[in-house]
Amino acid sequence: MSDYKIQLKELTKIYPGQREPAVKSVNMDIPAGEVVVLVGPSGCGKTTTMKMINRLIEPTSGEIYLSGENVTKADPDDLRRRIGYVIQQIGLFPHQTIYDNIATVPKLLGWDKNRINARVEELLDTVGLDPAQYKDRYPKEMSGGQRQRVGVARAMAADPEVMLMDEPFGATDPITRERLQNEFLRLQEDIKKTIIFVTHDIDEAIKMGDRIAILREQSVIAQFDTPETILTAPADEFVEDFIGSGASLKRLNLSRVRDVDYHSDVPTGTYDESRDALYNRLHASPWTAMLMLDNEGRPLRWLRATDFKRPNADLQQVGLPNTAQVEPHATLSDALNEMIVGNAGCAVVVGGRNQYQGLVDIDTIMLAIRTMRDANEDYYRAAKHPPEEVVA
Amino acid sequence: MSITPTDTEDAPLEETDAQYQSSAPGERIAVGTLHGWRKAAHYATMPVLLLMVVGALALWVGGQELDSIEQRELVLSVILTQMRRHVALALWSTFFVLILAVPLGIFATRPKTRKFAPTIIGLGNAGQAIPSLGLLALIFFLFRTIPALPSTGRVPVIAALTAYSFLPILRNTMVGLDAVNRDVLEAGRGMGMSNRQVLWRLELPLAVPVILAGVRTALVLNVGTATLAYLFGGGGLGDVIFSGFQLRRTPVLLTGAILTAVLALAIDYIAGLIEEWLTPRGLD
Repeated sequence: MSDYKIQLKELTKIYPGQREPAVKSVNMDIPAGEVVVLVGPSGCGKTTTMKMINRLIEPTSGEIYLSGENVTKADPDDLRRRIGYVIQQIGLFPHQTIYDNIATVPKLLGWDKNRINARVEELLDTVGLDPAQYKDRYPKEMSGGQRQRVGVARAMAADPEVMLMDEPFGATDPITRERLQNEFLRLQEDIKKTIIFVTHDIDEAIKMGDRIAILREQSVIAQFDTPETILTAPADEFVEDFIGSGASLKRLNLSRVRDVDYHSDVPTGTYDESRDALYNRLHASPWTAMLMLDNEGRPLRWLRATDFKRPNADLQQVGLPNTAQVEPHATLSDALNEMIVGNAGCAVVVGGRNQYQGLVDIDTIMLAIRTMRDANEDYYRAAKHPPEEVVA
Repeated sequence: MSITPTDTEDAPLEETDAQYQSSAPGERIAVGTLHGWRKAAHYATMPVLLLMVVGALALWVGGQELDSIEQRELVLSVILTQMRRHVALALWSTFFVLILAVPLGIFATRPKTRKFAPTIIGLGNAGQAIPSLGLLALIFFLFRTIPALPSTGRVPVIAALTAYSFLPILRNTMVGLDAVNRDVLEAGRGMGMSNRQVLWRLELPLAVPVILAGVRTALVLNVGTATLAYLFGGGGLGDVIFSGFQLRRTPVLLTGAILTAVLALAIDYIAGLIEEWLTPRGLD
């Protein structure tokens, strides 16, 4: 029970004068070091649920545990100083410098000056802002993306174990948002905080979350699972609708070429071999074309059987040049893109020096998806009849 | 493991920029950006102008043939005493209105006591609707009925001036506090600031420009209204004006009137300096 960083038990919020609760009996166990995304349609209560964790909204009933400690009735100000909080509109204090903004919680906690100075510099570096240049600036002198970074730095200042983020990248343009998301993911790899992240964007949830809670009205949990499982085994129609069309395509984003069985038995040859040797090798294999490599093992052209049969053909001119290649760390989505754009309906897997390692084609992709579905088949069956509580 | 973004792709956001501008209406000169002769002009223009006016007045009065009555009224030490009393009336009333109206304004904007706000505004409106002379007279009669309170002299005048400028400062306090960006306050609370810390460190500093604008206006109004103190033996430049009026001596009348105007502008200027000094840097 105390392996979980945050536990919500029967958390409920009923606003005075309303018959139905805004948030109904939420039960959730959140392991330490994970990014848990609360996602759902507008008005489902996801922000209300998140705000009950740091008691900005007081729960009507239910309990909250932080590292095993019941904080439902603890002093809210103390609690909030232990939890980082980032909101969509950022809310930097306009009348204070960036330094003072970031130093807010450390000052509230009584840190000494030197420790605060060191921490502010470290945080500005971490979020990619030069401390010397930005420390004494005011929020109005900074761009939107910069303010967002300062907002995150400010929330991390006292090194809280838990962070709550309410659509933190929502108020930016898509390009800035993607940058911020990527930087945040890299940061999280280092700091491994427990983060509750609220968004209405399922794609952001899939990208950012280690675990996703799809919420219906009144924050009733429709499914609480890893992104992979949600995409391949949605619990019900609501979840399917929420993911939208293209769930399988989205799923391809989550697997990498190196994780799947790509072909490695494609016949290859080099131009210093004899024509007959090459032709025999191709004829002996089940493939219809062979891949010509250079002396470094890098792919050059595809040659088919018919290309060999033309008596005076120059093997360096006939056939198709190879145009599609992917590296092992690329996603299956990138591989599919290469395949579609390339001229051969497949993509060569190449290593760090562009040398041939294997091949992905549409069969590879389909096999991968089938494997994912099979792996989740038991869960898929069980998910059709979900139990009362969903505990990760 | 730091990441270096480039500034160029992060365009400022129009919709969130508003929260970083000051909410005080009217002309807001970005004082921090003034340099050189512009700065000198900003600070020196009013004092120079006032000195010129006073100088011109002195020269004109000096050049007049003053009869015995005028000479008696225009003795420098007397004028200065009346000016001093006048300033005292304006300052005391401003002091009292600050310690009464600002806390009341804070009280009326707290979430739990917000429901009293309309009542409070209503009372203030009533006070404001009464013309200053009428208000003064009412206070006079009120004080008359309470034996402990003096019904002449400075005290009833200060009480009346306080009542008269109560509403603008109360209203400005409430408006200023309400205009503070809610996201800033939510961020502060979410970070663990107590309600009192949010009030003192966030709400008040951010509302100061608007509150001070109200105080400055009230102060200048009070300088004008304090001329009525004459009617209640409160002293001040009103004495000079009214005696000039009743004795039909133009130099006396003009001296009183012009000096009152100069005093009002001088106090406005000083209040402006204080306003600049107290406005938090990130807001100008």
